[in-house]
Amino acid sequence: MSGSARASICTSLLAASAALAGEIPPDPGRVATLRLEAGIARTPAVYLLLDPPRRVLEIKARGTVLDSIPLLGIEVVTQQPLLGARATHPASVPAVWTIVAEPSDEHRELIAPVELRPLPKDDEEAAADDGSPAVPAGPTPTPTPAPEPAATYRAHLDGGWDLLVCERLPPRGFLARFGAAVKDGWVRLRGEGEDYPPAVALAMAAEDARRLHHLLRSGTTILVAAGAP
Amino acid sequence: MNAEPHHNELFSAVIAPRPRRRGLVVSLALFGLLGLATGAALMVARAGRPYRAAPFVTETALTPDEEDPARVAKRAVQAATALERLRPRGAYLVVDSYRNRLRLYENGELKHEAVCSTGTGTILRDPRNGREWIFDTPIGERVIERKVKNPVWAKPDWAFIEEGYLPPTNPEERFDPFSLGDYALYLGNGYIIHGTLFQTLLGRRVTHGCIRLGDEDLELIYRNVRIGSRVYLY
Repeated sequence: MSGSARASICTSLLAASAALAGEIPPDPGRVATLRLEAGIARTPAVYLLLDPPRRVLEIKARGTVLDSIPLLGIEVVTQQPLLGARATHPASVPAVWTIVAEPSDEHRELIAPVELRPLPKDDEEAAADDGSPAVPAGPTPTPTPAPEPAATYRAHLDGGWDLLVCERLPPRGFLARFGAAVKDGWVRLRGEGEDYPPAVALAMAAEDARRLHHLLRSGTTILVAAGAP
Repeated sequence: MNAEPHHNELFSAVIAPRPRRRGLVVSLALFGLLGLATGAALMVARAGRPYRAAPFVTETALTPDEEDPARVAKRAVQAATALERLRPRGAYLVVDSYRNRLRLYENGELKHEAVCSTGTGTILRDPRNGREWIFDTPIGERVIERKVKNPVWAKPDWAFIEEGYLPPTNPEERFDPFSLGDYALYLGNGYIIHGTLFQTLLGRRVTHGCIRLGDEDLELIYRNVRIGSRVYLY
Protein backbone atom coordinates (compact mmCIF):
# COMPACT_ATOMS: atom_id res chain seq x y z
CA MET A 1 0.00 0.00 0.00
CA SER A 2 1.27 3.45 -0.82
CA GLY A 3 2.14 5.87 1.94
CA SER A 4 -0.67 8.18 0.96
CA ALA A 5 -3.21 5.37 1.13
CA ARG A 6 -2.08 4.53 4.63
CA ALA A 7 -2.17 8.20 5.54
CA SER A 8 -5.75 8.57 4.38
CA ILE A 9 -6.99 5.52 6.22
CA CYS A 10 -5.08 6.68 9.26
CA THR A 11 -6.61 10.16 9.02
CA SER A 12 -10.16 8.89 9.17
CA LEU A 13 -9.39 6.24 11.74
CA LEU A 14 -7.49 8.75 13.83
CA ALA A 15 -10.54 10.94 14.06
CA ALA A 16 -12.64 7.98 15.05
CA SER A 17 -10.22 6.56 17.58
CA ALA A 18 -9.66 9.97 19.15
CA ALA A 19 -13.39 10.35 19.43
CA LEU A 20 -13.69 6.91 20.98
CA ALA A 21 -10.97 7.54 23.48
CA GLY A 22 -12.40 10.94 24.26
CA GLU A 23 -8.91 12.40 24.39
CA ILE A 24 -8.78 14.94 21.59
CA PRO A 25 -12.08 16.29 20.36
CA PRO A 26 -12.19 15.68 16.61
CA ASP A 27 -12.27 18.72 14.36
CA PRO A 28 -15.92 19.36 13.40
CA GLY A 29 -14.90 20.35 9.88
CA ARG A 30 -12.97 17.10 9.40
CA VAL A 31 -15.86 15.07 10.73
CA ALA A 32 -18.30 16.84 8.40
CA THR A 33 -15.90 16.02 5.52
CA LEU A 34 -15.73 12.40 6.62
CA ARG A 35 -19.51 12.16 6.70
CA LEU A 36 -19.79 13.58 3.19
CA GLU A 37 -17.14 11.15 1.99
CA ALA A 38 -18.99 8.20 3.52
CA GLY A 39 -21.94 9.17 1.32
CA ILE A 40 -19.88 9.62 -1.85
CA ALA A 41 -17.95 6.38 -1.37
CA ARG A 42 -21.16 4.34 -1.54
CA THR A 43 -21.02 4.55 -5.35
CA PRO A 44 -18.40 2.66 -7.40
CA ALA A 45 -17.18 5.85 -9.07
CA VAL A 46 -13.73 7.30 -8.62
CA TYR A 47 -13.86 10.67 -6.82
CA LEU A 48 -11.33 13.34 -5.90
CA LEU A 49 -10.63 14.71 -2.46
CA LEU A 50 -9.21 18.23 -2.47
CA ASP A 51 -7.54 18.91 0.85
CA PRO A 52 -6.43 22.57 0.90
CA PRO A 53 -4.68 22.48 4.30
CA ARG A 54 -2.58 19.49 3.21
CA ARG A 55 -2.17 20.85 -0.34
CA VAL A 56 -3.01 17.54 -1.90
CA LEU A 57 -5.54 16.17 -4.35
CA GLU A 58 -6.32 12.51 -3.72
CA ILE A 59 -7.79 10.11 -6.25
CA LYS A 60 -10.10 7.84 -4.27
CA ALA A 61 -12.69 5.11 -4.57
CA ARG A 62 -14.61 3.45 -1.75
CA GLY A 63 -12.71 5.52 0.80
CA THR A 64 -9.37 4.14 -0.37
CA VAL A 65 -6.66 6.40 -1.76
CA LEU A 66 -5.65 5.13 -5.20
CA ASP A 67 -3.17 7.91 -5.85
CA SER A 68 -2.38 11.42 -4.71
CA ILE A 69 -1.20 14.55 -6.47
CA PRO A 70 0.80 17.15 -4.55
CA LEU A 71 -0.36 20.67 -5.26
CA LEU A 72 2.07 23.53 -5.81
CA GLY A 73 -0.65 26.03 -4.97
CA ILE A 74 -4.39 26.60 -4.66
CA GLU A 75 -5.76 30.01 -5.50
CA VAL A 76 -8.87 31.66 -6.81
CA VAL A 77 -8.32 33.11 -10.26
CA THR A 78 -10.58 35.77 -11.72
CA GLN A 79 -10.38 38.01 -14.75
CA GLN A 80 -10.34 41.59 -13.55
CA PRO A 81 -9.32 45.01 -14.85
CA LEU A 82 -5.75 45.86 -13.94
CA LEU A 83 -6.59 48.68 -11.57
CA GLY A 84 -9.81 47.33 -10.07
CA ALA A 85 -10.16 46.20 -6.47
CA ARG A 86 -9.40 42.53 -5.89
CA ALA A 87 -12.61 40.53 -5.61
CA THR A 88 -12.75 37.89 -2.91
CA HIS A 89 -14.72 34.68 -3.29
CA PRO A 90 -14.69 32.68 -0.04
CA ALA A 91 -15.57 29.04 -0.63
CA SER A 92 -17.86 27.29 1.78
CA VAL A 93 -16.37 23.98 2.98
CA PRO A 94 -16.77 21.07 3.30
CA ALA A 95 -18.33 20.99 -0.12
CA VAL A 96 -19.09 18.57 -2.91
CA TRP A 97 -18.40 19.93 -6.38
CA THR A 98 -19.49 18.11 -9.51
CA ILE A 99 -17.97 18.58 -12.94
CA VAL A 100 -20.66 19.55 -15.44
CA ALA A 101 -18.46 20.32 -18.45
CA GLU A 102 -15.24 18.38 -18.85
CA PRO A 103 -12.04 19.69 -20.42
CA SER A 104 -11.79 19.31 -24.17
CA ASP A 105 -10.51 16.12 -25.73
CA GLU A 106 -8.84 17.74 -28.70
CA HIS A 107 -5.81 15.51 -28.28
CA ARG A 108 -7.77 12.39 -29.25
CA GLU A 109 -6.82 10.75 -32.52
CA LEU A 110 -9.62 9.77 -34.92
CA ILE A 111 -9.47 6.63 -37.04
CA ALA A 112 -12.03 6.86 -39.81
CA PRO A 113 -11.66 4.35 -42.66
CA VAL A 114 -13.28 5.70 -45.82
CA GLU A 115 -14.77 2.36 -46.84
CA LEU A 116 -14.75 -1.23 -45.64
CA ARG A 117 -13.83 -4.21 -47.79
CA PRO A 118 -14.96 -7.82 -47.32
CA LEU A 119 -12.89 -9.97 -45.02
CA PRO A 120 -10.53 -12.19 -47.07
CA LYS A 121 -11.47 -15.88 -46.98
CA ASP A 122 -9.24 -18.36 -45.17
CA ASP A 123 -8.02 -19.90 -48.45
CA GLU A 124 -7.13 -16.44 -49.78
CA GLU A 125 -5.19 -15.72 -46.61
CA ALA A 126 -3.46 -19.07 -46.79
CA ALA A 127 -2.46 -18.41 -50.38
CA ALA A 128 -1.20 -14.97 -49.48
CA ASP A 129 0.57 -16.05 -46.30
CA ASP A 130 1.93 -19.26 -47.75
CA GLY A 131 1.43 -21.19 -44.55
CA SER A 132 2.80 -18.58 -42.16
CA PRO A 133 1.89 -19.08 -38.48
CA ALA A 134 -1.16 -17.38 -36.99
CA VAL A 135 1.01 -15.79 -34.33
CA PRO A 136 2.67 -12.69 -35.78
CA ALA A 137 6.34 -13.11 -36.47
CA GLY A 138 9.07 -10.55 -37.02
CA PRO A 139 9.27 -7.10 -35.52
CA THR A 140 6.32 -5.95 -33.45
CA PRO A 141 4.43 -2.94 -34.73
CA THR A 142 5.47 0.37 -33.30
CA PRO A 143 2.41 2.58 -33.04
CA THR A 144 2.72 6.32 -33.12
CA PRO A 145 2.88 7.64 -29.55
CA ALA A 146 -0.53 8.55 -28.16
CA PRO A 147 -0.99 12.35 -28.18
CA GLU A 148 -0.67 13.85 -24.72
CA PRO A 149 -3.44 15.98 -23.21
CA ALA A 150 -2.63 19.59 -22.39
CA ALA A 151 -1.12 20.49 -19.01
CA THR A 152 -3.40 23.53 -18.60
CA TYR A 153 -7.15 23.14 -18.94
CA ARG A 154 -10.49 24.02 -17.40
CA ALA A 155 -13.48 22.04 -16.25
CA HIS A 156 -16.77 23.70 -15.36
CA LEU A 157 -18.26 23.00 -11.94
CA ASP A 158 -21.92 22.88 -10.96
CA GLY A 159 -21.70 25.95 -8.70
CA GLY A 160 -20.88 28.26 -11.61
CA TRP A 161 -17.16 28.10 -10.92
CA ASP A 162 -14.43 26.57 -13.01
CA LEU A 163 -11.65 24.27 -11.98
CA LEU A 164 -8.43 25.43 -13.60
CA VAL A 165 -5.61 22.93 -13.67
CA CYS A 166 -2.32 24.60 -14.47
CA GLU A 167 1.41 24.37 -14.07
CA ARG A 168 1.85 27.94 -12.86
CA LEU A 169 -0.50 30.31 -11.08
CA PRO A 170 -0.96 33.79 -12.59
CA PRO A 171 1.79 36.22 -11.53
CA ARG A 172 1.12 38.51 -8.61
CA GLY A 173 3.69 41.25 -9.32
CA PHE A 174 2.37 44.49 -10.79
CA LEU A 175 4.73 44.54 -13.77
CA ALA A 176 3.85 40.98 -14.77
CA ARG A 177 0.14 41.73 -14.41
CA PHE A 178 0.60 44.93 -16.42
CA GLY A 179 2.22 42.90 -19.19
CA ALA A 180 -0.64 40.39 -19.06
CA ALA A 181 -3.18 43.25 -19.15
CA VAL A 182 -1.54 44.75 -22.25
CA LYS A 183 -1.49 41.35 -23.95
CA ASP A 184 -5.12 40.61 -23.06
CA GLY A 185 -6.19 44.16 -23.94
CA TRP A 186 -4.58 43.87 -27.36
CA VAL A 187 -6.42 40.58 -27.95
CA ARG A 188 -9.72 42.17 -26.88
CA LEU A 189 -9.20 45.23 -29.07
CA ARG A 190 -9.02 42.81 -31.97
CA GLY A 191 -12.33 41.34 -30.80
CA GLU A 192 -10.88 37.97 -29.79
CA GLY A 193 -10.90 38.08 -25.99
CA GLU A 194 -12.67 35.47 -23.90
CA ASP A 195 -14.28 35.73 -20.47
CA TYR A 196 -14.20 32.83 -18.09
CA PRO A 197 -16.00 32.34 -14.77
CA PRO A 198 -13.96 32.59 -11.57
CA ALA A 199 -11.89 29.46 -11.12
CA VAL A 200 -10.28 27.51 -8.35
CA ALA A 201 -6.79 27.10 -9.74
CA LEU A 202 -4.82 24.00 -8.82
CA ALA A 203 -1.16 24.33 -9.71
CA MET A 204 0.69 21.06 -10.11
CA ALA A 205 3.53 19.50 -12.07
CA ALA A 206 2.78 19.19 -15.81
CA GLU A 207 2.92 15.40 -15.65
CA ASP A 208 0.38 15.37 -12.79
CA ALA A 209 -1.89 17.74 -14.74
CA ARG A 210 -1.82 15.41 -17.73
CA ARG A 211 -2.62 12.31 -15.69
CA LEU A 212 -5.51 14.09 -13.99
CA HIS A 213 -7.05 15.17 -17.31
CA HIS A 214 -8.94 11.94 -18.06
CA LEU A 215 -10.42 11.83 -14.55
CA LEU A 216 -12.18 15.17 -14.89
CA ARG A 217 -15.20 13.77 -16.67
CA SER A 218 -18.73 15.15 -16.48
CA GLY A 219 -20.24 13.84 -13.27
CA THR A 220 -16.94 13.40 -11.44
CA THR A 221 -17.28 14.41 -7.81
CA ILE A 222 -14.73 16.55 -5.98
CA LEU A 223 -14.97 16.62 -2.22
CA VAL A 224 -13.37 19.72 -0.69
CA ALA A 225 -12.20 19.00 2.83
CA ALA A 226 -12.60 21.37 5.76
CA GLY A 227 -10.74 21.67 9.02
CA ALA A 228 -7.18 21.06 10.06
CA PRO A 229 -5.66 17.67 9.19
CA MET B 1 49.70 82.93 -35.69
CA ASN B 2 47.72 84.95 -33.16
CA ALA B 3 44.43 84.40 -34.92
CA GLU B 4 44.44 80.68 -34.39
CA PRO B 5 43.78 80.73 -30.60
CA HIS B 6 40.99 83.18 -31.25
CA HIS B 7 39.53 80.77 -33.78
CA ASN B 8 39.86 77.94 -31.32
CA GLU B 9 38.06 79.97 -28.66
CA LEU B 10 35.25 80.64 -31.08
CA PHE B 11 35.12 76.98 -31.98
CA SER B 12 34.90 75.94 -28.36
CA ALA B 13 32.28 78.59 -27.59
CA VAL B 14 29.97 78.03 -30.57
CA ILE B 15 30.57 74.55 -31.98
CA ALA B 16 31.43 72.44 -28.91
CA PRO B 17 28.02 72.62 -27.12
CA ARG B 18 26.21 71.25 -30.19
CA PRO B 19 26.77 67.51 -29.47
CA ARG B 20 25.44 68.09 -25.95
CA ARG B 21 22.34 69.76 -27.37
CA ARG B 22 21.89 66.96 -29.87
CA GLY B 23 22.09 64.45 -27.03
CA LEU B 24 19.48 66.41 -25.17
CA VAL B 25 17.21 66.42 -28.21
CA VAL B 26 17.66 62.68 -28.70
CA SER B 27 17.01 62.06 -25.00
CA LEU B 28 13.88 64.19 -25.09
CA ALA B 29 12.69 62.38 -28.22
CA LEU B 30 13.32 58.99 -26.63
CA PHE B 31 11.61 60.11 -23.44
CA GLY B 32 8.67 61.33 -25.47
CA LEU B 33 8.48 58.06 -27.38
CA LEU B 34 8.68 56.12 -24.13
CA GLY B 35 5.87 58.28 -22.75
CA LEU B 36 3.79 57.69 -25.83
CA ALA B 37 4.44 53.93 -25.70
CA THR B 38 3.59 53.83 -22.00
CA GLY B 39 0.44 55.83 -22.63
CA ALA B 40 -0.55 53.52 -25.46
CA ALA B 41 0.22 50.46 -23.31
CA LEU B 42 -1.89 51.91 -20.51
CA MET B 43 -4.76 52.50 -22.92
CA VAL B 44 -4.49 48.92 -24.20
CA ALA B 45 -4.11 47.56 -20.66
CA ARG B 46 -7.33 49.30 -19.62
CA ALA B 47 -9.19 47.16 -22.15
CA GLY B 48 -7.62 43.98 -20.77
CA ARG B 49 -9.01 41.69 -18.11
CA PRO B 50 -5.97 39.69 -17.04
CA TYR B 51 -6.08 36.83 -14.59
CA ARG B 52 -5.73 37.87 -11.01
CA ALA B 53 -4.97 35.34 -8.31
CA ALA B 54 -6.21 35.58 -4.76
CA PRO B 55 -5.72 33.17 -1.86
CA PHE B 56 -8.21 30.31 -1.72
CA VAL B 57 -10.19 31.46 1.29
CA THR B 58 -12.54 28.96 2.86
CA GLU B 59 -15.25 29.37 5.43
CA THR B 60 -16.45 26.33 7.29
CA ALA B 61 -20.20 26.21 7.04
CA LEU B 62 -21.42 24.06 9.92
CA THR B 63 -24.70 24.08 11.77
CA PRO B 64 -24.58 24.42 15.60
CA ASP B 65 -25.63 20.78 15.71
CA GLU B 66 -22.56 19.81 13.66
CA GLU B 67 -20.31 21.63 16.09
CA ASP B 68 -21.66 20.07 19.29
CA PRO B 69 -18.60 18.19 20.69
CA ALA B 70 -20.58 15.20 21.96
CA ARG B 71 -22.32 14.68 18.63
CA VAL B 72 -19.16 15.37 16.65
CA ALA B 73 -17.37 12.52 18.40
CA LYS B 74 -20.25 10.12 17.80
CA ARG B 75 -20.55 11.10 14.14
CA ALA B 76 -16.81 10.70 13.62
CA VAL B 77 -17.06 7.08 14.73
CA GLN B 78 -20.12 6.46 12.56
CA ALA B 79 -18.56 7.98 9.45
CA ALA B 80 -15.22 6.19 9.95
CA THR B 81 -17.02 2.88 10.47
CA ALA B 82 -19.16 3.43 7.35
CA LEU B 83 -16.06 4.18 5.26
CA GLU B 84 -14.23 1.20 6.69
CA ARG B 85 -17.06 -1.10 5.61
CA LEU B 86 -16.80 0.19 2.03
CA ARG B 87 -13.07 -0.42 1.71
CA PRO B 88 -11.98 -3.46 -0.30
CA ARG B 89 -10.89 -6.56 1.61
CA GLY B 90 -8.74 -9.46 0.52
CA ALA B 91 -7.03 -9.23 -2.86
CA TYR B 92 -7.87 -6.35 -5.15
CA LEU B 93 -6.31 -4.65 -8.15
CA VAL B 94 -5.59 -1.00 -8.87
CA VAL B 95 -4.91 0.05 -12.47
CA ASP B 96 -3.28 3.40 -13.24
CA SER B 97 -4.20 3.90 -16.89
CA TYR B 98 -1.99 6.97 -17.35
CA ARG B 99 1.23 5.42 -16.07
CA ASN B 100 0.26 1.93 -17.27
CA ARG B 101 0.78 0.20 -13.97
CA LEU B 102 -1.28 -2.56 -12.36
CA ARG B 103 -0.92 -3.10 -8.62
CA LEU B 104 -2.09 -6.10 -6.60
CA TYR B 105 -3.08 -5.42 -3.00
CA GLU B 106 -3.91 -7.87 -0.25
CA ASN B 107 -5.83 -6.29 2.63
CA GLY B 108 -4.35 -2.91 1.85
CA GLU B 109 -0.75 -4.16 1.51
CA LEU B 110 0.94 -3.81 -1.88
CA LYS B 111 1.92 -7.30 -3.00
CA HIS B 112 2.93 -6.84 -6.62
CA GLU B 113 3.27 -4.14 -9.24
CA ALA B 114 3.30 -4.86 -12.97
CA VAL B 115 3.74 -2.87 -16.14
CA CYS B 116 0.62 -3.09 -18.28
CA SER B 117 -0.87 -1.51 -21.38
CA THR B 118 -4.14 0.39 -21.39
CA GLY B 119 -6.47 2.17 -23.82
CA THR B 120 -5.17 4.58 -26.45
CA GLY B 121 -8.06 7.02 -26.09
CA THR B 122 -8.42 6.92 -29.88
CA ILE B 123 -11.82 7.29 -31.52
CA LEU B 124 -12.84 4.86 -34.29
CA ARG B 125 -15.66 5.81 -36.68
CA ASP B 126 -17.65 3.32 -38.73
CA PRO B 127 -17.92 4.78 -42.26
CA ARG B 128 -21.26 3.03 -42.86
CA ASN B 129 -23.28 4.68 -40.12
CA GLY B 130 -20.99 7.06 -38.21
CA ARG B 131 -21.04 4.92 -35.08
CA GLU B 132 -18.06 5.69 -32.83
CA TRP B 133 -16.00 3.73 -30.34
CA ILE B 134 -13.69 5.43 -27.85
CA PHE B 135 -10.81 3.20 -26.85
CA ASP B 136 -10.55 4.29 -23.23
CA THR B 137 -9.86 2.03 -20.30
CA PRO B 138 -12.88 2.53 -18.04
CA ILE B 139 -12.64 4.43 -14.75
CA GLY B 140 -14.15 3.34 -11.45
CA GLU B 141 -14.73 0.13 -9.56
CA ARG B 142 -15.37 -3.16 -11.32
CA VAL B 143 -15.32 -6.76 -10.19
CA ILE B 144 -13.78 -9.80 -11.78
CA GLU B 145 -16.76 -11.57 -13.30
CA ARG B 146 -15.00 -14.55 -14.89
CA LYS B 147 -11.57 -16.14 -15.00
CA VAL B 148 -10.67 -18.18 -18.05
CA LYS B 149 -7.59 -20.23 -18.92
CA ASN B 150 -6.65 -20.38 -22.63
CA PRO B 151 -9.29 -17.83 -23.56
CA VAL B 152 -10.67 -17.40 -27.07
CA TRP B 153 -11.43 -13.86 -28.16
CA ALA B 154 -14.74 -13.30 -29.95
CA LYS B 155 -13.67 -10.27 -31.97
CA PRO B 156 -16.20 -7.44 -31.86
CA ASP B 157 -17.14 -5.31 -34.88
CA TRP B 158 -14.55 -2.62 -34.16
CA ALA B 159 -11.70 -5.12 -34.47
CA PHE B 160 -12.62 -5.58 -38.16
CA ILE B 161 -13.58 -1.99 -38.92
CA GLU B 162 -10.27 -0.74 -37.54
CA GLU B 163 -8.50 -2.94 -40.09
CA GLY B 164 -10.75 -1.68 -42.88
CA TYR B 165 -12.83 -4.87 -43.11
CA LEU B 166 -16.57 -5.43 -42.94
CA PRO B 167 -17.54 -7.36 -39.78
CA PRO B 168 -18.21 -10.97 -40.81
CA THR B 169 -21.71 -12.41 -40.77
CA ASN B 170 -20.40 -15.86 -39.88
CA PRO B 171 -19.65 -15.94 -36.10
CA GLU B 172 -16.95 -18.59 -36.67
CA GLU B 173 -14.84 -15.94 -38.36
CA ARG B 174 -14.72 -13.88 -35.18
CA PHE B 175 -12.92 -16.41 -32.97
CA ASP B 176 -9.26 -15.73 -32.22
CA PRO B 177 -7.52 -18.21 -29.87
CA PHE B 178 -4.15 -16.40 -29.82
CA SER B 179 -4.50 -12.70 -28.99
CA LEU B 180 -5.56 -12.91 -25.31
CA GLY B 181 -2.61 -15.00 -24.12
CA ASP B 182 -2.87 -17.77 -21.53
CA TYR B 183 -5.39 -16.25 -19.10
CA ALA B 184 -8.24 -13.75 -19.14
CA LEU B 185 -10.01 -11.99 -16.28
CA TYR B 186 -13.29 -10.51 -17.46
CA LEU B 187 -14.41 -7.17 -15.99
CA GLY B 188 -17.72 -6.82 -17.84
CA ASN B 189 -18.79 -4.76 -20.88
CA GLY B 190 -16.09 -6.43 -22.97
CA TYR B 191 -13.17 -5.20 -20.84
CA ILE B 192 -10.62 -7.90 -20.02
CA ILE B 193 -7.30 -8.22 -18.24
CA HIS B 194 -5.36 -10.48 -20.59
CA GLY B 195 -1.99 -11.33 -22.12
CA THR B 196 -0.43 -9.98 -25.26
CA LEU B 197 1.46 -11.04 -28.35
CA PHE B 198 3.32 -7.73 -28.29
CA GLN B 199 5.22 -7.72 -24.99
CA THR B 200 7.48 -4.88 -26.14
CA LEU B 201 4.50 -2.53 -26.11
CA LEU B 202 3.83 -3.04 -22.40
CA GLY B 203 3.90 0.25 -20.53
CA ARG B 204 2.28 2.12 -23.42
CA ARG B 205 -1.27 3.16 -24.17
CA VAL B 206 -1.92 0.87 -27.13
CA THR B 207 -5.06 -1.15 -26.33
CA HIS B 208 -8.74 -0.73 -27.15
CA GLY B 209 -9.59 -0.36 -23.45
CA CYS B 210 -8.51 -3.77 -22.13
CA ILE B 211 -5.56 -4.17 -19.78
CA ARG B 212 -2.70 -6.20 -21.21
CA LEU B 213 -0.07 -7.84 -19.01
CA GLY B 214 3.13 -9.76 -19.61
CA ASP B 215 2.95 -13.58 -19.31
CA GLU B 216 4.45 -13.92 -15.81
CA ASP B 217 2.52 -11.02 -14.32
CA LEU B 218 -0.71 -12.30 -15.86
CA GLU B 219 -0.24 -15.74 -14.33
CA LEU B 220 0.53 -14.25 -10.91
CA ILE B 221 -2.56 -12.02 -11.03
CA TYR B 222 -4.72 -14.89 -12.28
CA ARG B 223 -3.65 -17.07 -9.35
CA ASN B 224 -4.00 -14.37 -6.68
CA VAL B 225 -7.40 -12.83 -7.39
CA ARG B 226 -10.71 -14.61 -7.36
CA ILE B 227 -14.06 -14.09 -9.00
CA GLY B 228 -15.66 -11.15 -7.21
CA SER B 229 -12.34 -9.44 -6.44
CA ARG B 230 -12.54 -5.71 -6.95
CA VAL B 231 -10.61 -3.79 -9.58
CA TYR B 232 -10.13 -0.02 -9.29
CA LEU B 233 -9.32 1.75 -12.51
CA TYR B 234 -8.29 5.39 -12.73
